[in-house]
Amino acid sequence: MKPNGPRRLPNRGWQLIVASALLIGCAVLLAVRADATEAAAEVRTVDQDVQALKKELVDLNRDLFRLEEELLYPASTQVAVFLSVNVGTFFALDSVQLNVDGKEVANYLYTEREVEALHRGGVQKLYLGNLKAGEHELVAVFTGKGPHERDYRRGTTLKFDKAVGAKYVELRITDRDAALQPEFAVRQWE
Amino acid sequence: MDSRDRAARARLTALAHTFALAVAALAGALFFPFIAHAAPATGAQAPDFALKDLAGRNQRLSEFRGDVVVLTFWASYCGPCRVALQSARDAAAAVGGTPVALGVSLDRDATRAASVAASLGLESPSLLDTDQAVGRRYDVQHLPMTVLIDREGVVRRTWARDPVPTDVLLQSIRELQP
Repeated sequence: MKPNGPRRLPNRGWQLIVASALLIGCAVLLAVRADATEAAAEVRTVDQDVQALKKELVDLNRDLFRLEEELLYPASTQVAVFLSVNVGTFFALDSVQLNVDGKEVANYLYTEREVEALHRGGVQKLYLGNLKAGEHELVAVFTGKGPHERDYRRGTTLKFDKAVGAKYVELRITDRDAALQPEFAVRQWE
Repeated sequence: MDSRDRAARARLTALAHTFALAVAALAGALFFPFIAHAAPATGAQAPDFALKDLAGRNQRLSEFRGDVVVLTFWASYCGPCRVALQSARDAAAAVGGTPVALGVSLDRDATRAASVAASLGLESPSLLDTDQAVGRRYDVQHLPMTVLIDREGVVRRTWARDPVPTDVLLQSIRELQP
C-alpha cells in the first residue's frame, strides 16, 4: 500500500489564470455569437427586402401587362380563344390551326410538355384579337394522333355573334367514351 | 409651236416620273415592315419558335431555357454547314452535354435533311424549317449561321457564312456557363 503523502494543492495563481482564460474565452464566444446573430439578422433583412422588391416588380409587370392588354384589345372588340383538354386518351394533340372569318390567326405546334400541361388541367390562351361587332365564323382545325395511333385531323366551326362586350371562346377536346373517339367542342363564355 | 409642245411633253414626263417615284416610295414605306427581317441583335431575346424535329416531335426553343443553346441554321446543299454542325456537336460534347446543340434545316425536302443528319451522326435534335419561316425570323442570309443563346434566352453571339471553329465556340460557351 502506498503511503498517503501530503497532497499538493494546485497553485492559486494558475487557478486564477485558467479561470480568467475561461472567462475571457466565454466572453469572446458570446461576443462572436452576438456578432454572428446580428449579421444573420442583417442578411435576413436584406433577403426580405430583396423578396419584397421582387414581389413589387412582379406586381408592376402584371399591371403593365394588363394595361397593355386593355389598350391593345379593348373590351368592346376583344375576342379570346382558349384551349383545354379533358382526359384526351383518344387524341394526342399535335397542332391547332385557327381561322377567323377565313383568315388564319393562329397556328400552334404543341410540344410534349405543353400537351402534358393541358392534360393536367392547364388552359391555353390560343388567340387574343379584335373583332368588330357582328356575325363571325371561327374554324379550328386539330391535328394529331387519334385512336390506334392513326393520323387524325378534325375541324370544328362556330358561328357567333359578337356584341359590344368581350367575347371568350373555349375549344375543348374531350373523350367520347361510347364511340371511343375524341370530341372537339366549342363553348362560348358569357 | 413645236418647242411649246416639246416643253409640255417634257413637263408631263417629269410629272409622270415624279408620280411614279412617289408611288414607289409610298409602297416601300407601307410594305417595309412586311419584308424587313432584321436578325436578332446581340443582347436581344432570341425569337421563340416551335418546329418538328426529324423524329416527328415538336420542339420549342423556349423550353431549353436554363441551358446554353447553340442554334445552327444549315441546309443539305451547303458544304460548310456540315463543318458547322460538327463543330456545334463537338463543342457541346466537350462541355459535357449541358449546352444544347440545335440544328435548324432550311431544306424544303425533309428526307435530304434526314440523310445529312444521319451521315453526320447527329444525336441532338435536327429541326425542320421547310417553309423557312424561322430562317426569315432570324434573317438567315448566309449559311451556315450559328447563334449562341445564353441560359436566359438572350442572343450572345452570331456567326454567319463561315463555320465557327470548335475552340472558339467552346470558349464562348464556357463564358456563359455558371
